Amino acid sequence: MAKLIAGIGTSHVPSIAAALDKGLRHSDEWKPFFDGYIPAQEWVAAQNPDIAVVVFNDHGNAFFLDRVPTLALGVADTYAPIDEGWGPRPVPDFVGAADFAWHLADTMVENHFDPLICRELDVDHGMQVPMELIFGRPEAWPVKVVPILINTIQFPIPTPQRMWELGRTLRAAIESYPTDERVVVLGTGGLSHQLQGARAGYINPDEDRKWIADIGPNPQRYRDMTREDYIDVFGSEGAELIMWLVMRGCMDEHVNSLCRHYFAPASMTGAGMVLLENA
Amino acid sequence: MATVLFIPGLVCDGLVWRAAQAALGDLQSAVADISAHDNIPDMARDLLAQHDGRLILVGHSLGGRVAMEMARMAHGRVAGLALLNTGIHSVRVGEEGKRHAMITMGYAQGMAAVAAAWLPGMMNAESPPNPALMAKLTEMVVRMGPDVHARQLRALLTRPDAGASLAYKGPMLLMTGRQDTWSPIVQHENIRALCPQARFEIIENAGHFAPVEQPNVVAALLANWARVVARDDVTRDRIPETPLYDRPRGNLGYALNKMAMGLSTPQGRADFLADENAYLARFDLTDAQTAAVKSRDWAEMVRLGGNLFYILKLSAVDPTPIRAIGAAQAGLSMDTFLDTRLGKVTNG
Repeated sequence: MAKLIAGIGTSHVPSIAAALDKGLRHSDEWKPFFDGYIPAQEWVAAQNPDIAVVVFNDHGNAFFLDRVPTLALGVADTYAPIDEGWGPRPVPDFVGAADFAWHLADTMVENHFDPLICRELDVDHGMQVPMELIFGRPEAWPVKVVPILINTIQFPIPTPQRMWELGRTLRAAIESYPTDERVVVLGTGGLSHQLQGARAGYINPDEDRKWIADIGPNPQRYRDMTREDYIDVFGSEGAELIMWLVMRGCMDEHVNSLCRHYFAPASMTGAGMVLLENA
Repeated sequence: MATVLFIPGLVCDGLVWRAAQAALGDLQSAVADISAHDNIPDMARDLLAQHDGRLILVGHSLGGRVAMEMARMAHGRVAGLALLNTGIHSVRVGEEGKRHAMITMGYAQGMAAVAAAWLPGMMNAESPPNPALMAKLTEMVVRMGPDVHARQLRALLTRPDAGASLAYKGPMLLMTGRQDTWSPIVQHENIRALCPQARFEIIENAGHFAPVEQPNVVAALLANWARVVARDDVTRDRIPETPLYDRPRGNLGYALNKMAMGLSTPQGRADFLADENAYLARFDLTDAQTAAVKSRDWAEMVRLGGNLFYILKLSAVDPTPIRAIGAAQAGLSMDTFLDTRLGKVTNG
């Protein structure tokens, strides 16, 4: 059976992509941010994963407001980087783990999660940036991918508790998949930020640091918070953090936090990462 | 929870609102007293002082004008605005002499004479006489007395041009009687021209006193509207200065966001850059949205339903740093914005 080898939570701020595209990886402003990912990159590379399940939200690129799936699942063979307004970014296409994705679709529906199933899908920075942060800028990605897209833009967005349960279902799908492939799950988004309204530019580094410290050992508080609590504490777009609960819900109750990193502000966002392994 | 405040018209009181108030069920409500002042701004100020918290204003005739003045003075407290049998026009030629004659009649011949001269023309002329209703209304007019009558008529004669300042953006319900010759349908269409979000209901078989001529119809419309307004008001932007992209904003901003979404193709960007006006004209934008886009007024675009994930695509054709967009919405200079919001640099 397939094996879950790690859960990773990470920001997916588009300015990270812009910094990479502009060659600012080693600039004074960005070097501390990118260097913070090195231990996680090395650990993951040594583990040789086969499949990365990436949980993210589309930012008005693949989906417009004419139809908004609360939950969508990619089952494509390839995913190209999408044009977000500046042309597609020069990152390689992602190869899909289509067979596992269909198995996940089956498992989801059997467990009463009913995703929009996407056979053709281009992906935005929500998926690109986490992949670049963990796997660098290779000629070809070293893992196949499965995108899970969550609506975090148009209300009603799903509840934190539902995200946790989706994580449990994802775990069941991994453990019932009849190959010996090794799977990492990336929950992405956040941390605190707000792009809209007079509170734009709001960040909350204290709560971000608590999140980074506690999402592994003490996630209960974050399961219990309401959607409004997320927006209150982490900002209107900080509510993306509910997607980390899919990753955390997928893991065992007891986990080891192998790597932690926090950096603020990355553009207008508190940015961070955790790497968790089942204890 | 918001309170429904019923504001009666000229020499009227809670009698006019009895059916509507009863239909509200659990919703908290009150009837306004506008008998003490001889001008609309003082009436409005007084009501805002007397009634706390969020208000759903329901005004009939003169009461509608008081409600509009309250919305002008304190739009942030007004959760909804229902205007019945009213208008926004200023004083008309010949109006002054007629109203002064009524004031004189009230003192010289008594209020029963005023009621007899005034009320019949306010009713639906096509309906059979309703002596029981006329008796109750006459009793009310007499109860209000000649001083209130005189003060309220003076208030009407010094009324501001409500149209000039009617900028209310919240939920709005307009109502008038099909047979209201005093405040006819066109006056409410004029209001809706200024407030396109308004819903307009024409009450059949009713004149200027629609709330008592068709009490059940008016009460049901008002109560169902007020319940939805009160429900939405509870959840609306509980988190200060944080506009969630929910159904009201989605309705408001759909065309604006669709315009921006069009910039995610090379063709869309080329069209925008070649002729911005022609590009914008393809979408069903309001004049205000078009103006906000053309002036790159980010705060205004968000206020008009824009969501940053879409309207940000404007910065692909007209480069603008995301932090400048943030500072503009916060109403801060870039330095102050960076210092007070994003200056908490903490690494490691």
